[in-house]
Amino acid sequence: MSGLEQLVAWITDPVNWSGESGVPVRVLEHLRISAISVLAATAVALPLGLYIGHSRRGETLAVSVANLGRAIPSFAILALAFPLSLRLGLGLSDWPAIAALFLLGIPPILTNSYVGVKGVDADTLEAARGMGMSEREVLRSIEVPLAAPLIVAGLRISAVQVVATATLAALVAGGGLGRFIVDGFKQGDDGMTLAGAILVALLAILTEVALGLVERATAPRHSRRGVFTTRTRLTSRFT
Amino acid sequence: MRRSRSYVLGAALLAFGLVLGACGSGGDDEGAAGGGGGEEKGQVTVGDDSFAESQIVAEMYAQVLEDAGYEVDRKSTKSREVRLPAMESGEIDVAPEYLASLISVLDPKAGRVSDAGEAVGMLNDDLLTDQGLQVLEPSEAIDTNIFAVTQETAEKYTTLSDLAEDAGDLTLGAPAECPERPYCIPGLKEVYGIEFGKFEPLEYGAATVESLKQGAIDVALLFSTDGTVEREGFVVLEDDKGLQAADNITPLVNEEVLDGEVEELLNAVSAALTTDTMTELNARVNVDLEDPADVAAEFLEENGLL
Repeated sequence: MSGLEQLVAWITDPVNWSGESGVPVRVLEHLRISAISVLAATAVALPLGLYIGHSRRGETLAVSVANLGRAIPSFAILALAFPLSLRLGLGLSDWPAIAALFLLGIPPILTNSYVGVKGVDADTLEAARGMGMSEREVLRSIEVPLAAPLIVAGLRISAVQVVATATLAALVAGGGLGRFIVDGFKQGDDGMTLAGAILVALLAILTEVALGLVERATAPRHSRRGVFTTRTRLTSRFT
Repeated sequence: MRRSRSYVLGAALLAFGLVLGACGSGGDDEGAAGGGGGEEKGQVTVGDDSFAESQIVAEMYAQVLEDAGYEVDRKSTKSREVRLPAMESGEIDVAPEYLASLISVLDPKAGRVSDAGEAVGMLNDDLLTDQGLQVLEPSEAIDTNIFAVTQETAEKYTTLSDLAEDAGDLTLGAPAECPERPYCIPGLKEVYGIEFGKFEPLEYGAATVESLKQGAIDVALLFSTDGTVEREGFVVLEDDKGLQAADNITPLVNEEVLDGEVEELLNAVSAALTTDTMTELNARVNVDLEDPADVAAEFLEENGLL
């Protein structure tokens, strides 16, 4: 049987679409792993990025952390996190993969939120402060809305990377769509491996499209309040 | 399990091997006719599959043959899928094999073979007759799956039969192919009625060892001759109903080089090999990084075979 025939045979077999190791369960596991990782990465990277962008303090640190994060292979993190999670009594779980994906998810969010806030036009900021806005208000009402498309772009990049890489979980007895890839390879079932790969790709594309729509929705519209006419110019510089 | 892992890769290598085999068959006849050098005896090529155990045993075969005056060539292949066609064509004459694994490659539908004598019969009377190959006397050394537990668990169970009743509450950790392999989950169910409550697909090696140590799994699939059990202080559950494969290490020989003397020399090596010695020799190569040829020579001298 060719790979394509095996793929068709696998996809059309109803057994593979139900139960604990069926496609729906695996997709949900995959989304769960990815969502926890991206949310955790956001919780750390977004406030940090906003703070650095607003205060202009620790910029070198932000750039170094982002670059370092990109340079360390997720696989190495997984290998380190695995025995650690066993020792912490977490057993065999998705946590080692989530740790690796969390670190993978940080750099795009950190970089984009920092660059987005930093890039807000100095005149706009001065005007806002001149109107008597506090620093907190400046950040919340001026910088964040203006940087929103870039921030969401960072989230999108992060989420797509994480969804595509969440297959790692399967290497340490975790769940998700990587299970099909690893098990298919080990069991010599090319159909299963291919189906797993295609499902991961589809999920990554869907993530990209969905967050792309959010990104567009956050883009400035001229019909909004007329005060920030510089928005379009500002944001287009970075997107 | 290690040697029958990737059919995909295997198929590709097989195709490659067939090409190699076809190319090599012409040259071989000259070799056989012109071989012998200073001696009257012929030339023999010994092959191995590029992992420690295979290299060590292949070296044993090579050295006893050399000692008896044969001109010996050594050839390493990456896997059985490459080596078998090369052996049929006579490019490789002698190699260490594993009986049950060899059967499962030659006849994937053969099912479980847990008796060495039966395995030799199946191979020599049927599966190998068209290839012009033969297996000789099997050694006692068996490289096969074992199911290991921690000392603590071993206080409750000593055999696989003991485990059967409680298996529903236990977790098995083994490579991801285990649910499909006759000597793993399906065999455990058929022979012992063991159905583990949970199966954790784990990479062989550190991931499995660490999980067993930390109690994330209760039973781990390991290999009998790689020394993990001894090194980590685990206990092997006795295979009291004979589930495991008759993967006795056995010489596979091309009939063209097979005569009484070759047979006697190789069988003497088999007679000296046991699972325990094999485990120890593997550790010397894998852990202490000794040279397989040195390890083999020392073993042969100790056993009076050189």
